Amino acid sequence: MREILRMIVVLTLIGAVSGLALAAFHRFTAAPIEYQTIKFVKEPAVKKVLTGYDNDPILDRKKLVVGTDPRGRPVELTVFPAKKGAETFAVAIEGSGKGFHGEIGVMVGVSKEGKILDIGITSHSETPGIGSRVTETGYTDRYRGLPAKKGVDVDAVSGATYSSKGVVAAVNEAVGLVEKFKKEIF
Amino acid sequence: MATLSAEFTKGFWRTIPPFRLVLGLCPTLAVTTSGINGLGMGLATTFVLVFSNLFVSLLRRLIPNQVRIASFIVIIASFVVIVELVMQAYFYPLFKILGIFIPLIVVNCIILGRAEAFASKNGPVMSLADGLGIGLGFTISLFVLGLIRELLGAGTLLEMPVLWEGFEPFAFMLKPPGAFVALGVLLGFMNLISQIQARKGGGR
Repeated sequence: MREILRMIVVLTLIGAVSGLALAAFHRFTAAPIEYQTIKFVKEPAVKKVLTGYDNDPILDRKKLVVGTDPRGRPVELTVFPAKKGAETFAVAIEGSGKGFHGEIGVMVGVSKEGKILDIGITSHSETPGIGSRVTETGYTDRYRGLPAKKGVDVDAVSGATYSSKGVVAAVNEAVGLVEKFKKEIF
Repeated sequence: MATLSAEFTKGFWRTIPPFRLVLGLCPTLAVTTSGINGLGMGLATTFVLVFSNLFVSLLRRLIPNQVRIASFIVIIASFVVIVELVMQAYFYPLFKILGIFIPLIVVNCIILGRAEAFASKNGPVMSLADGLGIGLGFTISLFVLGLIRELLGAGTLLEMPVLWEGFEPFAFMLKPPGAFVALGVLLGFMNLISQIQARKGGGR
């Protein structure tokens, strides 16, 4: 009996100490991990859709609370502003839409004047060679210069209608957010 | 008999993993597609090995014999998570490449093997030396194996092209079967060297 008690106590202690240590460590590395993820996943897209800025849009990123999820927690949205001097002249914002195989993440650059500068695909799992063609500049260039208002639509890539629709939905979500939070963003 | 330096240096040749122990083959074969990947995997494993050895050794009188494996695994897993977080925070590209093989360090036989066979029977200083030696041996093995496969499979060393123009890389070497071949040939050479040494030393 004493033996069993000792086993339980020792194992519990080891587990508890490990758990505490890891929780502390997790807190300590959370910020750099977020930065790295943004840098390697989002930065290429941000750089593609914004030009002519003299700040670091990744470092200057802003978080907006855009609503609450079904469990009542705030939904945050990250905005990457492009500044010249101290003035924000454009932002990159990410939207997502349903493609043929799951969500497509699209970074959309929107100027202060309300024009789409460019878009870049951040994440997708579309069929290689078919749906994946929506990531090519031949398709993404079609969005350049369109007014950044809900209802954006461009010709789909032939054979990749669902993927194209996903991108359109993502772009509309992003420009919709810019429209809605224009005051906070610029 | 067992001195500190002997425990440290045995990991470099006499019991160098994965060649002599032939343990931990899964990461060895999977991630050594380039020198850098091998080095990263080796160092991550070394970190876990050193600290798990230290803690297992410190706690060896406290841990009841019946639950020792469970305790070792908890200790090892904690350090693996630490490695994973650190890599994600500071070496993101490497973290992406090594991917699933970082969490799998938990079940690396070398680490559990050293905890069970050495650290749970020896003092903390000895265990540190043992962990560091075996870990660095593992790192060297993975690094060399990675360099060989990278050279033959991609024609580069540490991502710099070193072979002549028009060299056609053996893509086979970067595939899992190529890993087996490279490992086997390297192990063969090591045995050959050992045999020659033994003969010179008069069958010592």
